Amino acid sequence: MTTTAPAPPQQSSLDWVKKNLFRNWWSGLITVVLLPLTLYVAYRALRFLFVTGQWDAVRVNLTLFMQGTFPRDEQWRLITQIMIFALAFGIGLGTNSAASRDRAEDAGLVVERGSVAGTLARMWSLVAFIALLLFFATTDDVGNFINPFLVVGGSMVIAGAGYQARRLPRRFRNVGWLLTMTFLVIGFQTVSGFDAGGWVPLGIVYGISVYSIAPVDRFDATWLRIALRLVGAGVVVLGIRAIYAVVDTPGIGWDEWSGLHLTLMVSAIAIVLAFPLGLLLALARRSTLPALRMMATAYIEVIRGVPLITLLFMGQFILGFMMPAGTLLSAITRAIAVMTFFSAAYIAEIVRGGLQALPKGQTEAGQAMGMAPPPIMRRIILPQALTAVIPAMVGQFISLFKDSSLLSIIAVLEFLGVRKIIHAQEAFRGVGIAETLVFVAIGYWAFAFAMSRESQRLERRLRVTR
Amino acid sequence: MTTETQEPQGSEAARPPFYRDVRVIRVVGQLVAVIVVFGIAYWLVNNLISNMNRLGISTSFDFLFGPTNTAIPYHEEFAIRSPVWQMSLVGIKNTFLAAIFGVILASVVGLIVGVSRLSDNWLVARLATFYVEFFRNIPPLVLIIFFGFAVFTFGPFPIFSESWELKLPGSDDTLLIINNDRWGVPGFTATGSLVLFWVILAAGIVIAAYMWRRRTKHFEQTGQPHHRVLWFTGVVVASLVVAYIASGQPLDVSWPVISENRRRVDGGFIANWGWISVTFALGLYTASHLAEIIRGSILAVHQGQSEAANAVALSAFQRYRFVVLPQAMRIALPPTINQYLNLVKNTSLGTAVGYAEITALTKTSVGNGRPAFQSFIIVMAVYLVFSLSISLTLNVVNRRLQLESR
Amino acid sequence: MKITKLLAAFVALMLILAACSSDDDAAATTEAVAGEDGGGDGDTGGKLAAVIAADKIVCGVNDGLPGFGVVDDAGVYNGFDIDFCRVVAAGVLGDADKVEYKPLTADVRFTALQSGDIDLLIRNTTWTATRDGQEGATFLFTVFYDGQGMMVPASTGFTTLEDLADANICVLSGTTTELNLAAVFGARGIPFNSVVFEDNAQLNPAYQEGQCEGWTSDASQLAAFKSAIEGEGGEDQFIMAEIISKEPLGPVVSDGDTEWAQAVEWSVMATVQAWEFGLDSGNIGSYAGDNPNILNFIGTDNFNPGLGLPSDFAVQVVTQVGNYKEIFDRHIPAIGLSLEGGPNNIWTEGGLMYVPPYR
Repeated sequence: MTTTAPAPPQQSSLDWVKKNLFRNWWSGLITVVLLPLTLYVAYRALRFLFVTGQWDAVRVNLTLFMQGTFPRDEQWRLITQIMIFALAFGIGLGTNSAASRDRAEDAGLVVERGSVAGTLARMWSLVAFIALLLFFATTDDVGNFINPFLVVGGSMVIAGAGYQARRLPRRFRNVGWLLTMTFLVIGFQTVSGFDAGGWVPLGIVYGISVYSIAPVDRFDATWLRIALRLVGAGVVVLGIRAIYAVVDTPGIGWDEWSGLHLTLMVSAIAIVLAFPLGLLLALARRSTLPALRMMATAYIEVIRGVPLITLLFMGQFILGFMMPAGTLLSAITRAIAVMTFFSAAYIAEIVRGGLQALPKGQTEAGQAMGMAPPPIMRRIILPQALTAVIPAMVGQFISLFKDSSLLSIIAVLEFLGVRKIIHAQEAFRGVGIAETLVFVAIGYWAFAFAMSRESQRLERRLRVTR
Repeated sequence: MTTETQEPQGSEAARPPFYRDVRVIRVVGQLVAVIVVFGIAYWLVNNLISNMNRLGISTSFDFLFGPTNTAIPYHEEFAIRSPVWQMSLVGIKNTFLAAIFGVILASVVGLIVGVSRLSDNWLVARLATFYVEFFRNIPPLVLIIFFGFAVFTFGPFPIFSESWELKLPGSDDTLLIINNDRWGVPGFTATGSLVLFWVILAAGIVIAAYMWRRRTKHFEQTGQPHHRVLWFTGVVVASLVVAYIASGQPLDVSWPVISENRRRVDGGFIANWGWISVTFALGLYTASHLAEIIRGSILAVHQGQSEAANAVALSAFQRYRFVVLPQAMRIALPPTINQYLNLVKNTSLGTAVGYAEITALTKTSVGNGRPAFQSFIIVMAVYLVFSLSISLTLNVVNRRLQLESR
Repeated sequence: MKITKLLAAFVALMLILAACSSDDDAAATTEAVAGEDGGGDGDTGGKLAAVIAADKIVCGVNDGLPGFGVVDDAGVYNGFDIDFCRVVAAGVLGDADKVEYKPLTADVRFTALQSGDIDLLIRNTTWTATRDGQEGATFLFTVFYDGQGMMVPASTGFTTLEDLADANICVLSGTTTELNLAAVFGARGIPFNSVVFEDNAQLNPAYQEGQCEGWTSDASQLAAFKSAIEGEGGEDQFIMAEIISKEPLGPVVSDGDTEWAQAVEWSVMATVQAWEFGLDSGNIGSYAGDNPNILNFIGTDNFNPGLGLPSDFAVQVVTQVGNYKEIFDRHIPAIGLSLEGGPNNIWTEGGLMYVPPYR
């Protein structure tokens, strides 16, 4: 009785080692070889990160990495933008969470609650990167990054506040989405300016929203309903236009953006602009009209067949000459144009994949209901196809985000390009070269990793809801 | 009969007005689309030509025959007065070199890592996951720059004059020369005309391929062991020997030799740092994507297949080699083609480490005053030919593989 | 329903972007069109009027060239070339801060000038016949006489280019340096291998780790990196006495607009003229002598020779940026070159800085 077997937990951990590291002789051999090697590499890496690395080049130029040559007097714009985007993301996530809760309730499923800790854990790479930035900011004796803790903390609080949109009752879902869009636009324009011409995006958002959710269904005549909706939408659009005409404050256009801010914005702008183009290309490629199909196919194959960098060179050297004499396109505008046309071809292929994956029965069901082809496409095919390709779209965004590093080759000062100007500074000529590169790599990695995790999660969710 | 004569009449009668007639709409719609697209294209090209004329920029391809006037890195034999088209050929050759070796490296590493991710060994699986997540999420450009530095600039290799040399035991011939600029290994050099050699070798490979098919057929019909790998290799080796002797021994092994002043490596096959950085960075980057594809494909093979293999007592290796991988490969092939194409296109980033591939050379050439439009049109055409031919070939292979599986 | 929303969102975002950039573009287009009128047929006043209307000068610069164009940790451009952008802004617009800097790579700089992206190119650009002829560029007063040199580690004891036979030589891509290297070594029959880099951030460590035995670049750049390497406790470096090429660096404008070229050139030359007159940022505002040339120069009694510049442009240039010597002393000694004894000294002291008289 006294000589009992070892306590179960100990046994299980030993078992675990046996089962997972020394299952058989060659598994054991691999472990024996790899383990010291891994430990050594990890030791060297950590030693470089925390002991031997000369991080001054990063520390002193932290702001340069973040915002590049963006005018420092206007830094408040970037900070406000971060806050407003945080609010928009908060509201968007909250509304999305509420919408999936609604769907789950409708389907009679158990509602799974997400938690803040869970979200942060999922985004650990980003959290770690921000922590790294904060660490550098606190040890930065230049002190030119205005209260970074305030920015991070503030935006988290604001995002949390926005997330409370999930508590809104069901009939306010549309309001949640509308607020998200509004704050995204306003956040963008905090930097780019509220010019008189800036009414267009909000005008379209509100115009379409009013048109599609106007409560005029109690009128019988179709034309009357349409007319009322049009009038409503028109009034709203004109109102927004009037507001912008009154406000009319210029901002800082993208020609003056740089650093990580530019990297993120350029990728986002290009993917957003590329989406409608890619959608049209995909539809054209699937079209039964041979001329459309051939033109779309040719475009897609040519763009996908050449490297982005050659297109970017073309953009820098040629695009300006393709416009009428005297048109001016800045380097960044041209880069965005090229990245848009480039991504459109890839998005077209993604969407085409989504369209092909849909069973033919969906179209046939629509036809059986007596629907015309356009409504079938709009109401049956596209909603399903586009939902299915969301993970692939996120993947494309990640790849575009990584590809934006190529802009450094054409002298656009994005995240990677900042390195070059740092090492021309007197203090860092030849100092900390490996360190700045590692820092840049960590930055790209943190964002790309977090996004790819998120896309995998989306994919799993979509598979479950199928 | 009656319906056949009636139907046209009926549809004639019910024919909608032309603006709602589907046939008319289709034709008009396509016409409009074609006119719009070609109109825009015409407008752009027209602007381009008039702008180029206005600024006095040449619109001809004559520059291809003018002198290059710059040296090409790691091509000391390239005369600087050679015409530009020869420079472009060197660039194409280098693009091809980096792409070929990158694809080989990516395939090998990708397969190992992909299979490792599913390993029973916790450490191996974890390391493979780490590998994938690490390489996949860093821009290839950053990786290339990083390799240029980590491997060469700050790496463990000695400077040129203190190169490591590995001699063949008991002889003066050098097997390997390594320094922080170039790596040299033995290669071949032609001592005579190689035409006959290549012709005989090509014939040998065709015969070998034929034997492969014959043996396969034989196996399928009789069930006797096919030994097709043995047959294939045997025929190829035999044809190599025959070709070598028949064409008068036109090839010689060339050993890498460091020159007297220890600044040059003569002979052998020499890899320069740019090539190695591009090949390794892109190979390892693409491998992380391939690993994911292979893992996904293996997981997509029905579990029953593995269980069946276990049931007939196949070893783990046999299970993979004969049951799982052949099926997984079919699933993996199309996305793999895409990754190979991406790798070929990514070699254009070699400019970051001074690798003399076609994009880098053209960029320099344009910087020296050659017309940009024509130069880059040529570069794009080169990549397009690369991409389209690879995807066409592999599509054919793919179709054959898919058919076999039925 | 949902898809409409999604689409609406995308379309909306797309238009924000369009709208956001439209304001800049609109301004830029009018400016360019105005510039085009003059630029096309060599008329007067095109670009100059456009620049004055836009109230800023777009200056193409280098952002990674020690001493000439660097960006400090506050994101501010400074350097010798940058100061000459400021000189032109002070001369033409009366405010040295009205400059928008456009960083350019070596390859793309002339395209940027041709397409009107930039008004002015001051990016260590060497004046060569081909560029003057083929690239549609007009080269103006040379502000810096540079020459291409060769740097080797001092311990090697190399003193001539012949010592570098077969060696690896580090060079930046897309520059005249690369062309000169091939031409000079080719002409002397010295075999060599060029190792090409995109920028000095990469080249510098490769050189220090011994991948190349020689580093060729403009002498000013070699001096900058020599002092940097030695200052960080690296090996001693030696710059060969032999200068393998002439590299006159100065501002460049596009062909066909003489008025704009004149305004730029005289603004730039005013810095040398002020130096010759003994005027600097401290004393030009309080000149009390009676030298008629100086009185004209500082625009007394609204003297204006009709260069399209305000009559007090010289005062603005010198008070806001300084005379040539002040600009030089601000940036160049820091990279290890001195004015004395070099070609950039004023002609009265044996240098090449000689400007047409201002009268």
